[in-house]
Amino acid sequence: MIQVKQVNHTFLIGKKGKEKKVPVLKGLSFEVNKGEIVAIVGKSGSGKSTLLHTIAGFMSPEQGSITVNGQETANLNETERAAFRLNNFGFIFQNFQLMPGLTAFENVELPLKLKGISSKQRKVSVGQMMDKVGLTEVGDHYPNELSGGQQQRVSIARALITNPPILFADEPTGSLDSETEQDILLLIQNLNQTLGVTFVMITHDEEVASIAHRTFKMHDGELVKGDIR
Amino acid sequence: MLFKDQVDFVRQHIKKNKLRVFMTVLAATMGCAFLIVLASIGFGIQDTMRKEILQDQAITEVEVYPNENEELNLEEIKSVPHIGAIVQRTSMDVMTSFHLEDRTIQGNLQLTDMKEEEHSNLKLTEGRLPQDDSEIVVGYHFAQNLWTDGERAKVEEGVEEADIPKGYEKSIIGKKVSLSLQPYDANTAFPEQWEFTVVGVMDNPAKDWIVDQSILMDKLWLPELTGSYEANAQQVPENFTYTTTKIYTSSLEHVKSVTKDLKDMGYNVYSVSEQLEQIDVFFMAFKIGLIFIGTIAILISSIGIFNTMTMAVTERTREIGVMKAIGASPKLIQRLFLMESAWIGIIGTVLAVIISYAVSYLANWLLPMVVGAALGEDEFSDLSITFSLIPWQLVLLASAMSIGVAMISGWRPARKATKIDVIQALRQEL
Repeated sequence: MIQVKQVNHTFLIGKKGKEKKVPVLKGLSFEVNKGEIVAIVGKSGSGKSTLLHTIAGFMSPEQGSITVNGQETANLNETERAAFRLNNFGFIFQNFQLMPGLTAFENVELPLKLKGISSKQRKVSVGQMMDKVGLTEVGDHYPNELSGGQQQRVSIARALITNPPILFADEPTGSLDSETEQDILLLIQNLNQTLGVTFVMITHDEEVASIAHRTFKMHDGELVKGDIR
Repeated sequence: MLFKDQVDFVRQHIKKNKLRVFMTVLAATMGCAFLIVLASIGFGIQDTMRKEILQDQAITEVEVYPNENEELNLEEIKSVPHIGAIVQRTSMDVMTSFHLEDRTIQGNLQLTDMKEEEHSNLKLTEGRLPQDDSEIVVGYHFAQNLWTDGERAKVEEGVEEADIPKGYEKSIIGKKVSLSLQPYDANTAFPEQWEFTVVGVMDNPAKDWIVDQSILMDKLWLPELTGSYEANAQQVPENFTYTTTKIYTSSLEHVKSVTKDLKDMGYNVYSVSEQLEQIDVFFMAFKIGLIFIGTIAILISSIGIFNTMTMAVTERTREIGVMKAIGASPKLIQRLFLMESAWIGIIGTVLAVIISYAVSYLANWLLPMVVGAALGEDEFSDLSITFSLIPWQLVLLASAMSIGVAMISGWRPARKATKIDVIQALRQEL
């Protein structure tokens, strides 16, 4: 489903003219299979977020290729990448990244609006999805009126509403207490089993990584350990 | 994204910053209204001057004068294309008195070709044009200046305006009037009298101060009237008759070509369109100047729009980042921001147009009274002076400029929004 081959990337750090080259991804190669939950773990600064941003198409790698569902994504322009993300990816962020001016329902509805789905169809789809993630009661609440767990559920519902084959999660439980964390992890497992969605998670939490079918450990931009299970 | 959803999206964001958007709309409104009202003064004064010129002259009318000691060659003039009528009116150097019962008037007798008068669309307020040479048409003030000798003597002594005799108050149509001739240097009129039936009354002259007591009579009478003069006074003086020639073109657009053709024939020509053309050129420059000044106001208001949109983009950086992350294309982001600035421009323009019409209406109603009061002339407020006129072309031009400038102001912030880096935006604090 996802093939990462010899991906290299360098950041330029420092004042203009006196920049220092810092390699963040060093010849990474791995594959993610359909229906898998893959966790990428590592310390801060290990390059795991950069790797996720590269696969998700938020940035292009300097070298190497990334193929998703047979499509080479590194060569796409920004508009093509946006369309590719809309049709293939869902995103769950550590701090939820909900639109503060939109209700829970409207936040979940947003990707469908971007796809140009009619309001009638959207109402049905969002209603079903809210039910699936247990948010039926809070559809008309604004994000600041929801608990952290509820906000993350809204974020998951928004990520899944377009039925993407791949879902990226960046520290999905990083802002949650341990009880809510368990709820969210169960939900992810449940969605993976029932919908067959492929999950690529970034975490530094071993417990979160424990729900993954495979775990890649990163250190200084390199994969130091893979296929734990 | 469906267009309806895009509009909803923009509406939601505008709602969030009501006060800031209101102030920006206000600035756009003031800029656009200033342009419209300022330019409307140019249009208004031009309209007043055009009306003033056109009041007493048909726009299709072309006056032709021969050169000194020359005559007009009517056959040659007739050959000019698009001529509708050639009206030649001849007056005589003699007092022409008309009598009805015990009333008399010294009218301005003009001998003409009734057929040509008909073709020139001579306007009557009452009655019809003559069908034979015993019928005449009289000026609008003919009847009210038909005074008895007593009334005339009273007027000559001097009377208040309200005491001026009303003249012949019954309808003059169908009445028989008699004509007598009297040289200016003689004390009595010639014994001959001719009787005519009044069948029509000409239109009231547009200018209030014109008193029309003319009489239009068939030109067939000229030899007889001249003959009578000759018989009584032994000889006819040089320049006894004086003829004016007016040409009426078949339609407005031919005035220019007919004027040119006649000039090419060597005649002296005057047409109102020539005068209007000169006025139009002057006012075109005047209006361009006013519009230029008004445009500066629009440009100043555009700074407000630019600031508002830049603030909007900066404030929404994280939201734009999320939108881009979940699949919004840069083009869509740009369009949403352009729509927002266009909305500000459109609402500002609509309000500006409404306000401009109100200001224009008020100015036209109030200013004549204010000026009249300041000058101490009551009549001033009665005059139909247009101080401000807003034609649809001005509305269209100002709207296009205002909305266009609003969109251009929003262009750079919108471009900035498309360039927002997703990763940086997502890292922003909530």
